[in-house]
Amino acid sequence: MTDDKDVLRDVWFGRIPTCFTLYQDEITEREAEPYYLLLPRISYLTLVTDKVKKHFQKVMKQEEVSEIWFEYEGTPLKWHYPIGLLFDLHASNTALPWSITVHFKNFPEKDLLHCHSKDVIEAHFMACIKEADALKHKSQVINEMQKKDHKQLWMGLQNDKFEQFWAINRKLMEYPPEENGFRYIPFRIYQATTERPFIQKLFRPIATGGHLHTLGDLLKDVCPSAVAPEDGEQKTQVMIHGIEPMLETPIQWLSEHMSYPDNFLHISIIPRPTD
Amino acid sequence: VACSMAGEEDFFLEEKRFKQHCEEFVKHSQQIGDGWEWRTSKDLGDGYLSKTHFQVRNRHIPPDPKEKNNDNVEQTLLAHVEESLDDSQVAGVCAAEEVIRYEYHVLYSSSYQVPVLYFRACFLDGRPLTLEEIWRSVHACYQDRLQEGPWETITQQEHPILGQPFFVLHPCRTNEFISAVLAGPQKHNRHTNYIILWLSTVGPVVGLNLPLSYAKVAPEQNSNTD
Repeated sequence: MTDDKDVLRDVWFGRIPTCFTLYQDEITEREAEPYYLLLPRISYLTLVTDKVKKHFQKVMKQEEVSEIWFEYEGTPLKWHYPIGLLFDLHASNTALPWSITVHFKNFPEKDLLHCHSKDVIEAHFMACIKEADALKHKSQVINEMQKKDHKQLWMGLQNDKFEQFWAINRKLMEYPPEENGFRYIPFRIYQATTERPFIQKLFRPIATGGHLHTLGDLLKDVCPSAVAPEDGEQKTQVMIHGIEPMLETPIQWLSEHMSYPDNFLHISIIPRPTD
Repeated sequence: VACSMAGEEDFFLEEKRFKQHCEEFVKHSQQIGDGWEWRTSKDLGDGYLSKTHFQVRNRHIPPDPKEKNNDNVEQTLLAHVEESLDDSQVAGVCAAEEVIRYEYHVLYSSSYQVPVLYFRACFLDGRPLTLEEIWRSVHACYQDRLQEGPWETITQQEHPILGQPFFVLHPCRTNEFISAVLAGPQKHNRHTNYIILWLSTVGPVVGLNLPLSYAKVAPEQNSNTD
């Protein structure tokens, strides 16, 4: 049987083959070739696309270049969502490679956060980790850490260093021996069809009776339409990191093993393909 | 003034209580015409407080915030001309000044169990203010704290209900100063509106001021208050 630790590695090293194409209305001095890249599921678009930016800037005039942004089939892609979440939510049942369009003009102010430097990504990442720990441990674990530990989490992500990251992150996955899990589970549920970007609520991993709550319990509580079959047929898929975990899976286990580096479970509810 | 730090009992605001205090807050706002309203989201029934107003800002670059002596602080306070305008007055503002439309939302954070202040600002032509412009417009008194840790104070974030970019005043330290203030009245006078207390403290950092009459709000006695 696969060791639980193998799951941590599989999650960390997940990749999505992507093809970046320059938006046709961008003004170039010569033709822009598409750029292919394997994107880490657990990272953020603006953190891993320096080469993409350089590639397209080579064929553009300096004055035509302002803040880069990405779009998939007309939808601006939120760089502050992990790449794996964006793919699962928007493109998981389409053919690979994932085709993303690159823009350097007309930044969509109403849809996207700005990302002028890596500091912005770091601040966002650390804010998510802190919020996750507020839920799991009333912020006790994250507050007890030194600044250098916080920095190590960020550097581990930025440099794709699994061991470096988990040396610190394992502390965020512990809980007092007298408890059987975290205080609350950090999770967000996304559906592309709603105006609300995600659903997030307080949810305990352990029921008052002492038994473990499952993924199914979470969905029933927070997003019942995702579990209740209409017409007796399940119209949606519940996806995390590109897979559909069994609804019987304890949510505590999912939180410890399938969270993103920001310590949140990012769950997509998507239409089930009808093939 | 006793400052209660970690170790003292933390005062957390439950979501139901948050809604009650917001209701009370809106009632008073309506009485004095202060423009706040409660907006309920259609899908999940949660909601938030909302207020829009216009501010005139002097176009001169504010004096160097690092200058610390008292005279300069006073000058800085005067230089940040902030008069609230209603729609009819906006058109008459002279060109040397800028009119900025601010929209403030108060949402509840279940993660931190505190209210959170979201806001966005744009010029009349629709151009949104940048994060740098927002940081620069933070009141002079708060510039030191801001510069110590700008990334922990005001950043751009996605509005959790509307999904659009807003600026946010970070909530993770709210509990520190709220507990310090509420430890007193909480014991012998339960009738404190958390929202009024909190907003009157954090609002001015981002140009939002509460008229003094809010201090007189006396919550309704009801058997549910513990």
